[in-house]
Amino acid sequence: MRRRLVALAGAAVLVVAACGGAASPTPAASPSPGQSAAPSAPASPTGQPKAGGTLVVALPGDITRTDPALIDDSNSSYVMTQVMEGLVALKPGTTSEVVPALAESWTISPDGKTYTFKLRQGVKFHDGTDFNAEAVKFNYDRWKNFPTELQDYSYYAGAVFGGYGDTSNIASVDVVDPYTVTITLKQPNSSFLLAQTLTVFAISSPTALRAGKADNSETDVSKIPYAQGGPPAMVGTGPFKFKEWVVGDHVTVERNPDYWNKDAVPYLDAIVFRPVAEEAQRLNGLASGELDFAQVVAPVDIATIRQNPDLQVIDRGESCNIAQISMNHKYSPINNKTIREAIAYAVNKQYLIDTFYAGLAVPADNWMPLNTLYAKPLNLPTYDPEKAKQLIAESGVTDLTIDFYYPSDVTRPYMPDPKGIFEAITSDLEAVGFTIVPHTETWRPDYLDHEYAGNFEMWLLGWTCDWAGPDNFLKTAFFGYVDGEPSTEFAYRNDELEKTMNDALAATDEATAKALWEKAQDLIRADMPTVPLVNSTPPAAARADVKGFIGSGNLTEYFNTVWLDR
Amino acid sequence: MSSSAPSLSLGRRRGGRAVEARVSRGLWADALRRLVRNRPALVGLALVAVFVVAALAAPVVAPYGPYERAGGQLEPPSPAHLFGTDLLGRDVFSRVLYGAQISLQVGVVAVLLALLTGGIIGALAGGFGGWVDAALMRLTDVLLAIPGILLAIGIVAWLGRGMPQLMLAIAVTYTPIFARLLRGSLLALREVDYVVAARSIGASPLRILTRHMLPNAVTPLIVQATLVLATAIIDIAGLGFLGLGPPDPRTPEWGTMLVDARRFLQTAPHIVFFVGGAIVVSAIGFNLLGDGLRESLDPRLKR
Amino acid sequence: MIRYIVRRLLGAIPVLFGLSIVLFAFVHLLPGDPCSAILGQHRTEEACARLRANLGLDDPLTVQYLRYLGSLLRGDLGASVINNKPFLDEFLVRFPGTIELTLGALVFAVGLGIPLGRLAARHAQSWLDGVVTAISLFGISIPVFVLGLVLVVVFGVGLGWLPTQGRIDARLRFESVTNFMLIDTLLAGRPDLFVDAVRHLILPSIALGSIPLAIITRITRASVIEVSHEDYVRTARAKGLTERRVDERHIMRNAWLPVTTVIGLQVGGLLAGAVLTETVFVWNGVGRWVVDAIGNRDLTIVQSTILVFALIFLVVNLIVDIGYAFLNPRIRYA
Repeated sequence: MRRRLVALAGAAVLVVAACGGAASPTPAASPSPGQSAAPSAPASPTGQPKAGGTLVVALPGDITRTDPALIDDSNSSYVMTQVMEGLVALKPGTTSEVVPALAESWTISPDGKTYTFKLRQGVKFHDGTDFNAEAVKFNYDRWKNFPTELQDYSYYAGAVFGGYGDTSNIASVDVVDPYTVTITLKQPNSSFLLAQTLTVFAISSPTALRAGKADNSETDVSKIPYAQGGPPAMVGTGPFKFKEWVVGDHVTVERNPDYWNKDAVPYLDAIVFRPVAEEAQRLNGLASGELDFAQVVAPVDIATIRQNPDLQVIDRGESCNIAQISMNHKYSPINNKTIREAIAYAVNKQYLIDTFYAGLAVPADNWMPLNTLYAKPLNLPTYDPEKAKQLIAESGVTDLTIDFYYPSDVTRPYMPDPKGIFEAITSDLEAVGFTIVPHTETWRPDYLDHEYAGNFEMWLLGWTCDWAGPDNFLKTAFFGYVDGEPSTEFAYRNDELEKTMNDALAATDEATAKALWEKAQDLIRADMPTVPLVNSTPPAAARADVKGFIGSGNLTEYFNTVWLDR
Repeated sequence: MSSSAPSLSLGRRRGGRAVEARVSRGLWADALRRLVRNRPALVGLALVAVFVVAALAAPVVAPYGPYERAGGQLEPPSPAHLFGTDLLGRDVFSRVLYGAQISLQVGVVAVLLALLTGGIIGALAGGFGGWVDAALMRLTDVLLAIPGILLAIGIVAWLGRGMPQLMLAIAVTYTPIFARLLRGSLLALREVDYVVAARSIGASPLRILTRHMLPNAVTPLIVQATLVLATAIIDIAGLGFLGLGPPDPRTPEWGTMLVDARRFLQTAPHIVFFVGGAIVVSAIGFNLLGDGLRESLDPRLKR
Repeated sequence: MIRYIVRRLLGAIPVLFGLSIVLFAFVHLLPGDPCSAILGQHRTEEACARLRANLGLDDPLTVQYLRYLGSLLRGDLGASVINNKPFLDEFLVRFPGTIELTLGALVFAVGLGIPLGRLAARHAQSWLDGVVTAISLFGISIPVFVLGLVLVVVFGVGLGWLPTQGRIDARLRFESVTNFMLIDTLLAGRPDLFVDAVRHLILPSIALGSIPLAIITRITRASVIEVSHEDYVRTARAKGLTERRVDERHIMRNAWLPVTTVIGLQVGGLLAGAVLTETVFVWNGVGRWVVDAIGNRDLTIVQSTILVFALIFLVVNLIVDIGYAFLNPRIRYA
């Protein structure tokens, strides 16, 4: 996704996904965060887990804030996932399977509007206060009633609940008894439950929220201690406790010995998260032993890591991302469908995979990974430069000059080397007769801002899913309308597609939903609005003695099962 | 930009005596004679010559085109690819040759720009003195006080991305150095006999400046210029590292190539070795030549 | 002497004034709206307008400048627009790291550069001279970040002698008091940690010190050569003094002057080089912070950091110049 997490755009995936089944291809071997996570589970085939030690984890960048409700980036959410818990969670290693967390169980009313959560008893926040229905209500009310000034930082709350205050889709949050809470929606929303697995909907201690001015009393985010490192900050119920954030240097979390799930108390004493922007230094730090774990490593380094017996490459399994050549239809010649088709034929995707992804990717044959719910192969064009030339000739377009953009200073999980990929694609396109005018901008804030505003004709971008649902890719990430009109980003108008996707979201039975989502895919395929490139699994790497880690395609990963064999 | 003027203070101090009346007779002939006897300088000259020839002859000499996919990915050096290949299978040797062209161009343009602007500022300040001098020198102090790379980031961010902008950004960071060098030399020359004499016979200030002072004050500038030629490449690399390099990522510019190659330091160290080597060798060439020139142009250092 | 110092101090006032204008222009010429940096791409126009009003960005530029100048004169360097933390607090957390790094680099550059320069001068225009020049130029022609990575791969990963990143072992629980690792470790009574901090300092110092090393070597060489051709040196030699005595008493004493000046000028370059070095070595200093601030359009931080950098540059060079004038009375009329 753009800033990685971002956007569900109000609606979503079907309940079906949430209840397991089709959407979770990895069967249930892995323990849930709150459930049978550890000592009892066969954590590793190589031996008995050992307690103790500090794990040093390299992240690509620093966290942005310490209030889970006010973040939208993956570095922050990666750290908070260790400390904070919501009512429900994603099963470790999956991208769409909901398991209980702070809610032991839940029921959904037949009209799909009322969710009743039975809460876990005896759970305490890290500040010693009790977790109960009042705490849940306090948090949900806070999100629902975010003051205008804070709404720009709480993207998910706005997107998932469809607005704030009176426009929020949440009618009310009611305390039934100290350990039962109901959330009543105005309109049924089949993705509601799944959305609650996001770290941004983790429950904070109301006492801490008040003390940290995060109770909507302060509207300037820079003056909310709870968001700026505290104290207090990140006061949740999770297996780790927030210790400190030294901006630009590290975030430390410590084992929570009082974790409510005695079977899932972490082995590690502490985790230190460090922002290591320079890719080579992640590898060097692992090799020297200064780092234990790198959240993402460069695919070009995979071979080096495999040769080193002290290190291991961690495969994240199923892909939940896509890289694509994005296109804005207000520009010529990109507004010509035949030209877009020609571009799709001109690009050698396999070459990209071999060169930049170390083989850890497959050519995209859809606008989402094929393991996504309802995704089907679309037989997208494969590398055929002759066909591309032929299409260009057929199109009758004579001015084949295209402005093409890439971000100059980042790598993304779905795009490990934007500059190199850009070079390769540019060569491919020039080989069939296009004239490419290269442009670049730094990722933040220019690149994202300008592509979203529609300033680019053609550019490299991708999406990492929040969960593996078709709406998360097709609608949220790409082609959904904004305020009833095509987005400025793609300027791609297809009213029938928009209607089909909205109908699919509103569908109450699975067969209808499936048919509508398949129709949506056909509609997109017919227009070829952008050119999908690859679906990849971003590799992690660790010291060989780091055990018990469970990777996930969307980087929702829990470290309470991790232990050090040293 | 991070490397400020080594010869700065020397130039200022030396100016007064470095230029003597007899120098104007056969400065270049004299200097040339001394230069050919200075072995390191000759080595420098030879290296610079290789660099220039490589730059000019790249299209003829290079076995492959700079963008051409000529081999496999990250191949080590072989007879077919003397310097190996890069990630996209391009011939590193050919790219280094073409890179000489671009790097020379960048260096020369940046130096000329810095010389021109710095020279004008320095000439005005040193030539006229008084409040002009005071004002212009405070201006250069301001520029000098801002770390060069931050100044360059600001300029690139302001003017947008591109090779011309990069050259301008680098030129600006060197401008105050040239200005101060020239001013220092000129100030020292103000009291030199022949200038005093020219003034006493009523020559106009402009004529004194252009005819008598400037020609005698350029030596430190020349030396500084040879240094900047080399460091300009490093400066572009620094900006590239921060994501502000040339917009066409395929440009075979040495600094940019080095920025990319650092990612393969462990998997394919030959790229860093050869590209870095090209920069080192050319920098050594320019610097040895610069040293030689300085020593040749300074008659007191005659052996 | 007093008059000279006073004159130099007065001379700094217009520079600071000019600097405030340049800095103000610098951050206001940066394209890109702080709105997009602070609020992200999904911001609403109302939110943006509110933010601009809060930051006073809608006022005329002259008003904004005067407000900026006013706060500077009150000694108020502002607060981050991202997290509202006062600039000075945040700066003082990071600046010790940059100081340690810069001093480490200077120690390396001066400690090695002066002997190398003297060696080259003594054998001027010989092959030894050429070799020294080549070695010193090696540093100047390899970008800091590449040299840093090469050092890390060789000494950190390959030989395993030195740590590759950070200011101290990340696994240590360690309370910082002054944020100078070298001081804090000793305050904590942990000489072992002090050693660890020093070991962390070595590679980045070499990487950052490579450019000043080249410059100091070259300037020492040039200065020694120049002085050794002075009449008083010839006289000293003619008197039959030993070469060693000539070297110590006549050459170095005079050759030091320009070398000192150049060392002063390196401070600016070192602060700039720290921007890159800190990124490579995951060094929590001011350099990395200011580059991030430019990316985040945290205008206050950018303005104030550059201002402090410039102040340091001016003060260091003032001290150098005063010391220079003190040692060398000839300079005062210049």
